[in-house]
Amino acid sequence: MTIDARARRPATSGALTRIVNVARLHLTQKGPLLVLPWLILGFILLVNLLIWWILASALPPADRVDAADSMQFSGASTFIFVYMLVVAVQAINATFPFALGYGVTRRDFYLGSSLTFVLLSLYYSLGMTLLAELERATGGWGLGVAMFDVVFFDADTPLQRFALFLLAFLFFFFVGAATAAVYVRWRSRGMLVFFAALALIAVGLAWLATDTGSWPLIGGWFTENGALGVAVWSLVPSTAAAVAGLVLIRGATPRT
Amino acid sequence: MSTVIEVSGLSKRFGKVVALDDVSFSVGENKICGLLGRNGAGKTTLMQLLTGQQFATSGTIEIFGRSPVETASVLERICFIKESQTYPEDFSVKHVFTSAPWFFSGWDASFAEQLIDDFRIPTNRRVKKLSRGQLSAVGVVVGLASRAPLTFFDEPYLGLDAVARQTFYDRLLEDYAKHPRTVILSTHLIDEVSNLLEHVIVLDQGRVIIDGAADDVRSSATTVVGPRGAVDAFVGDRAALSRQGVGGLASVTIHALTSDERHAAGDAGLELSPVSLQQLIIHRTNSSSREFEQSA
Repeated sequence: MTIDARARRPATSGALTRIVNVARLHLTQKGPLLVLPWLILGFILLVNLLIWWILASALPPADRVDAADSMQFSGASTFIFVYMLVVAVQAINATFPFALGYGVTRRDFYLGSSLTFVLLSLYYSLGMTLLAELERATGGWGLGVAMFDVVFFDADTPLQRFALFLLAFLFFFFVGAATAAVYVRWRSRGMLVFFAALALIAVGLAWLATDTGSWPLIGGWFTENGALGVAVWSLVPSTAAAVAGLVLIRGATPRT
Repeated sequence: MSTVIEVSGLSKRFGKVVALDDVSFSVGENKICGLLGRNGAGKTTLMQLLTGQQFATSGTIEIFGRSPVETASVLERICFIKESQTYPEDFSVKHVFTSAPWFFSGWDASFAEQLIDDFRIPTNRRVKKLSRGQLSAVGVVVGLASRAPLTFFDEPYLGLDAVARQTFYDRLLEDYAKHPRTVILSTHLIDEVSNLLEHVIVLDQGRVIIDGAADDVRSSATTVVGPRGAVDAFVGDRAALSRQGVGGLASVTIHALTSDERHAAGDAGLELSPVSLQQLIIHRTNSSSREFEQSA
């Protein structure tokens, strides 16, 4: 008689299994992570369509083109990126003590969380790309409305557009992860210091730019690189945030 | 007997507060060990250190022969159920029991079902909406059904009624008999769990004041009862753990007596009674805080 080796459980599971299990833990609740954002986005689109319809019926035809152009700067889809930042903060902060109680190492927890963020970025980039293409194909939902196909995500091909969305989502997810890691590590005191430092650095850089008269240069850099170029550059802060999150989490302890 | 937990010279400070001070002990495989002590004695901190959740200030911890900190091969054999366990945002009870098997290779789903029935846990309810007792019951079910080789229960019964607590003790013993494992149980209800425990560790102000087999600890003291004069004469200059008197009667708890001494007590017309674990711990923790105050 032979014993089926597959029936026996390994004494210790592989690192990959452990990381995937953390991702499964994050994705236990599908609704708020995978469905709800689309519903909210749909609602925002509906409101945009209504507003445009009200505007269009009130404006003389000559001004409509102007108004349509300015809609290229619509920030209506920003919601989903901020939502994902909050998702990352929640995932790290609320699940960290829980996962540790389940005997997960901090490293596996963070890598599993990162895997979740990458998967969610792919999922939402795909959806956003499809919506942008649909918007373009229907001539702005039949009304000339722009919400997904806007100047911030301007791209020549659907694939480029997908890459753009993906890089943007990764940026927001990992900035959220790093921010949550600061909180998990040092609690509210850490948050105060973190945001104070962030504000000082921002003001410092703004002063530097003003003092050296380099604002045109900065603006030029953005237009020169284009949306995709800027997005590729975002990999630098995204990676820095991802690494910082890991380093911070490895020294964090759950609240007692 | 192999050792599962080996702690030596362990200290933990939070700023100026010394939570644990030079703690050393070991726990053998497949023992049910009580970690007892007053509030703030350092029980939770000790458990957090043993499960790698906190970092030691000094000293060493070996669980299954290795440091638990960030060691996956050690941590995946541990289940830590704490009183103040937080759950992911909007988790329902169902989600807890769906996800637990991914992390505990010994998880027994049918045992979990049985326990959920026993404790009447509403599985569709959100964890946030559970009562204190139901929340504790969820933790108890995870702790038992995970069958982790090393299971920690930190005050697992908060808000559980007497019936549910008895169910917990019964199921723990039954399942432990079938699937032996090491269980560390921290609790205030010392008399209730007294019969479960094989090993007792008592912490007081961050130090280990009792560490031994439960039976040895129980028989380490005895109470002498009788007329005041006779009791005082018998006790003499033996150290008294506690002293009480009503009218002409006195009752003094002293360290264990030899069989000759027990005979002598009988001859003197004195009664000897055993000391419960709870009383003993009350005496010992009280006396050590008195000593502390005197030396301060």
